[in-house]
Amino acid sequence: MAKKHDDNPENYPALGRWLMFLDDPKVIKRIVHGIYVICAVLFAMDFFYYKKTYVEIENYTGFYMIYGFIMCAALVICAKVMRVFLMRAETYYSPKDTESEMHPDHDLRKESVND
Amino acid sequence: MIDIFPPFVIYIIAALIVPFIPAGRLRSTFMLVIPVVGAWMIWNTPTGLSAVVPFFGFDLTLMRVDKLATIFALVFSLAAFLANLYAWHLRDTMQQVAALLYAGSAIGAVFVGDLISLFFFWEGTAIASVFLIWARRTEGAFWTGMRYLIIQIGSGVILIAGVAMYYASTGSIGFEAMTLPMTSPITWGALEIGIWMIFLSFGIKCAFPLLHNWLQDAYPAATVTGTVVLSAFTTKLAVYALARGFAGTEILIYIGAIMTLFPIFYAVIENDLRRVLAYSLNNQLGFMVVGIGIGTELALNGTAAHAFAHILYKALLFMSVGAVLFRTGTAKGSELGGLYKTMPLTMIFCCVGAASISAFPLFSGFVTKSLIVSAASKEHYYIIWGILLFASAGVFHHSGIKIPYFAFFAHDSGKRPKEAPTHMLWAMGITAALCILVGVFPAPLYELLPYEVNYENYTTTHVITQLQLLMGSALAFTVLTVYKIYPPELKSVNLDFDWTYRRFLPAALRYISFLVSATFGMVTGAINAFAANMVHRLHHSHGPDGSRAASWPSGAMVLSIAALLGLALFVIFFS
Repeated sequence: MAKKHDDNPENYPALGRWLMFLDDPKVIKRIVHGIYVICAVLFAMDFFYYKKTYVEIENYTGFYMIYGFIMCAALVICAKVMRVFLMRAETYYSPKDTESEMHPDHDLRKESVND
Repeated sequence: MIDIFPPFVIYIIAALIVPFIPAGRLRSTFMLVIPVVGAWMIWNTPTGLSAVVPFFGFDLTLMRVDKLATIFALVFSLAAFLANLYAWHLRDTMQQVAALLYAGSAIGAVFVGDLISLFFFWEGTAIASVFLIWARRTEGAFWTGMRYLIIQIGSGVILIAGVAMYYASTGSIGFEAMTLPMTSPITWGALEIGIWMIFLSFGIKCAFPLLHNWLQDAYPAATVTGTVVLSAFTTKLAVYALARGFAGTEILIYIGAIMTLFPIFYAVIENDLRRVLAYSLNNQLGFMVVGIGIGTELALNGTAAHAFAHILYKALLFMSVGAVLFRTGTAKGSELGGLYKTMPLTMIFCCVGAASISAFPLFSGFVTKSLIVSAASKEHYYIIWGILLFASAGVFHHSGIKIPYFAFFAHDSGKRPKEAPTHMLWAMGITAALCILVGVFPAPLYELLPYEVNYENYTTTHVITQLQLLMGSALAFTVLTVYKIYPPELKSVNLDFDWTYRRFLPAALRYISFLVSATFGMVTGAINAFAANMVHRLHHSHGPDGSRAASWPSGAMVLSIAALLGLALFVIFFS
């Protein structure tokens, strides 16, 4: 149903058309920089309020952000390593599995904006 | 004695009526009215009332109304309403009847006051729900449904066996708090074994580590609307049962902590977005199980509140990914991307669900998950607290960012599906609004909780630290994506513990059966050969032509008698 990139934005819903600025690489760059700035600001905020803590480690400046960053980076890297051992072809369990099946049409209503 | 009419009866009556209403708007409206009537009945049932019916010498308590049961029953009704609205277009009698029976069984189960009634509803949820998987009507769905059914029914069988042993030892079938025996199994009697079996059956339905794979196997295999229904009931019923039966059982803290941890690794590398959601569902159940294990009023409030919020945001996420599947025919990250242009509302609702599951301030997860995390630190479980923080950051990573990112942004897949149908948008919109309402005004939800809540969510410390944690997680995603370290979505399956019973055990059984049959063949072959040889030799000597078969001449007899007489003479002579 979907045609690759030869479609007409006029067919998109108005909200979708408006959101198309998200395709612009400059905007993406700005979003990435925005995330860096937000992180820096949130980190710096630790200096400006009284932190009510229950656990010793919470008192370290920026603990939550550093913990979130390091643990999530470690999570992704561990998961990547897991892939080496655990990843199999989609048909690994077929035919007794739905992974390699097409979702049946009777349960769908596939429609394209370009139809 | 019956003071009140149990609300599950409404669902069963409705399920009997549905096939006789022509499939269409009338039936879909009827499907919407039933949860509303049920919820109205539950809302108006004062706590403390009961309904007892005699059954083969037992008194079954079909209704035991208290705040813990009521909050679960209310959110089940809400989930049933939203799922039925989402499935407004459905014209499949099988799925509609199954959805009603499933919701009715779950609501029936949370009100029961005895373990035998619990068993009936426990199996009711299992049997009704499998039809939502089979409704896909493919070979893969049939086998997945069979696996699901075996495990779910198995859980019920273990439950009733445990109940029998419990009853034999205590003489009671009451579903009350139990103490899990932690002594050496050698010293266990029937009571201890019975309680462990009940615990195990709850654990299977709650997707404890290593007992969890039915969830990730079955939920992505159901129909578009079926998965939304499935996501609400079974596991949260198990959470309720654990909270009722095993609150304050310390081992649950550690089980729950493991549950929050390992699914997030799988969720990062999983391609099917509905399976990613199933893994994150498992992770969220972990939070609730930790709350039950801690068992303080704060923690149990946290579990009930989190179950309430979780049912809503998880349904919302399944609805939005389901809408994508409905329009494109796939829910795989590797096939999707760039859909925000043509499905912007679905994208926004998905982001609300993602923010809620990630516990962003002003969204529902923030005001419920924090009760459990705070309870862990207040009760000095610091390592558990650290794990829960990691799991919170991780869930933002894989559910909060990954799901919307790979479905609606990332690389442009070229797919230009139409926006989801209006009824799906309404279902998602209402659910999203509820997620935000609970997040902004948590007081009405806190009113419904089993204990009084003395907890201030929106403190400066809590808001800033939570934002720091989540932005730290977002920063990791951004950096890893920018530097192309983040693993791309690939068409694949990842081996999980189900590999043991889907591949290893069948292969091991085949190998063992080969060995046994080969050994058996060798031994029986040798015995047969020996027997055949013996028969042949006997035949040779004793057969019709054998030497022994020949008649003896009379001379030989005279000779032998003479020898015998000679021997007798000899003996007599010398004696």
